[in-house]
Amino acid sequence: MLAALFFALGVIVYMTYWILVIRQGEDKSILSRTGSDKREKEILSVGTIAVFSLLLALQILGFNVFGFVTLFLTFGALGALVVWRGVSTSERAHLHELTDSVATMGSATGEGWVGITLRTVLSVVFILIGVSGLSRVSRRPGAASGVVIGSTALVLGLIILFAPWWIGTLRGLSKERNARVRAQERADMAAHVHDSVLQTLSLIQRAADNPVEVARLVRMQERDLRLWLVDPESFGLTSDPPDSLAESAFEIEHEIEDTYAVAVDVVIVGDCDLSAPVLALLGAGREATVNAAKWSEAPSVKIYIEVEPERITMFVRDLGKGFNPSEVPADRQGISGSIVERMARCGGQATIRSSPGSGTEVELVLPLKTTAP
Amino acid sequence: MKQESPLPRVFLVDDHALIRSGIRAELGSQVELVGEADEVEAAIEMILERLPDVVLLDVHMPDGGGQAVLEAVIAQESSVKFLALSVSDAAEDVIAIIRAGARGYVTKNIEGPELIEAVHRIAAGDAVFSSRLAGFVLDAFASQNGDAGATPPPFDPELDQLTMREREVLRLIARGYAYKEIAAELNIAIKTVESHVSAVLRKLQLSNRHQLTKWATERRLL
Repeated sequence: MLAALFFALGVIVYMTYWILVIRQGEDKSILSRTGSDKREKEILSVGTIAVFSLLLALQILGFNVFGFVTLFLTFGALGALVVWRGVSTSERAHLHELTDSVATMGSATGEGWVGITLRTVLSVVFILIGVSGLSRVSRRPGAASGVVIGSTALVLGLIILFAPWWIGTLRGLSKERNARVRAQERADMAAHVHDSVLQTLSLIQRAADNPVEVARLVRMQERDLRLWLVDPESFGLTSDPPDSLAESAFEIEHEIEDTYAVAVDVVIVGDCDLSAPVLALLGAGREATVNAAKWSEAPSVKIYIEVEPERITMFVRDLGKGFNPSEVPADRQGISGSIVERMARCGGQATIRSSPGSGTEVELVLPLKTTAP
Repeated sequence: MKQESPLPRVFLVDDHALIRSGIRAELGSQVELVGEADEVEAAIEMILERLPDVVLLDVHMPDGGGQAVLEAVIAQESSVKFLALSVSDAAEDVIAIIRAGARGYVTKNIEGPELIEAVHRIAAGDAVFSSRLAGFVLDAFASQNGDAGATPPPFDPELDQLTMREREVLRLIARGYAYKEIAAELNIAIKTVESHVSAVLRKLQLSNRHQLTKWATERRLL
């Protein structure tokens, strides 16, 4: 009891000191600032009257409120009100930081003062009702209803008082978790940009006087970035051999782009698994693409593959200088051996259409044995 | 596309100044550039104010991208035609913007003359398909073969199926043929090629075809 008395006295002395003494770097004390403003004086007197009226009303209603604790709390609250109204702007900002971290204030700035006051008063009333309800419980029959009402009121009061703090904490937690996820993503992103884009840029700088090499690097990087954008999770993990026609076709695209520094556009309709004839078709198509990349002088080669139930068709086309197919020497392995004969061996067919000046198109057709269901 | 008709009035939307100046240089005096914008809000406002024939529209921009511009403008002024521009011709980008109402699609590495031709074609009311877009359409509209069991009968045969001719035209576009070359190959007039492509565009925009929807929802596009 004595300790409580000293504590209370200490708080009130501190409050008085705070109100009367001029803060370092300022020219007025809180009291003189509040006292010189008419509006502030009104607010203070209204506040004081309101608090004492409330206490009086509660006393009359039968709650025994006038006591040491109540008076201490009342004077403490009034002192706090004076301080709050009278502080300078810089000190107020500091106080805001403090109150924001106090549990019952919750997000004081977000809620606004009317809200906080309303909530605090409401919860204090509930708590008082609850406490006094519980303190009157006797052994009389039917007293249990008092316990129920009292504890409900108490719990309600506490909930109202602490709700913003509780909600704020929850929100803070999820905010923090999101921030952590974002930071992780940013780190991954930064790592990727460094490993790929920045590396390539430095390579490009070093190869600045070699346009072919620059084009090759740019295309390689572009492809990498696209793959990464589409599927960052599995990027760099899939090094296993291709297991479908489309995958192998894209592999051919990449290989030839990297080796010959021409753009290869692949368009595929449908897809199928790899088999010996399909691999032969791809081999022939690859050869045709290499020829176009090497000899046509066209900046790009187009590959079109269509998979139908009864056949696979592959076109390799460039808009380069073209040639006259009938004038190709018979000993040139490229066309006859690697394309025409290879297709013939797997039961397919190759047609080469070209004329000087208007580009070349190689058409490869592979019939499929339709398996009856 | 050498016509004596007045130059198409073009509006350019792209958030990268470098790309805009590149396109401006490529278009040169072949079109009448009536304005540029680098963000969605400004683009919508200026397009509705100046009513260009063709809007060259970047697909990837902050605040909703090209699609936001397209939808806002078309809702008020359906006469404005859009040609989408993107660094990538990944099918998911293409299909979303075409379904939203763009009449064509080109990648940003398109050569100057091709871009000019595309703009003129769009201005004349035709459609512009890249080879990849053509490939996608063939894929999505594949006739009831292959996984026949998985494909329900078309909902609307008029919209959900391609004619033989349309299929041939698309196949040639996918092989990299220009309209002129397609016309020569199929022995038809360029106008006919154009009308086939426009018909395909319409189907692509309006069709409820199972594959298209499934394909798009798999990529969360619709």
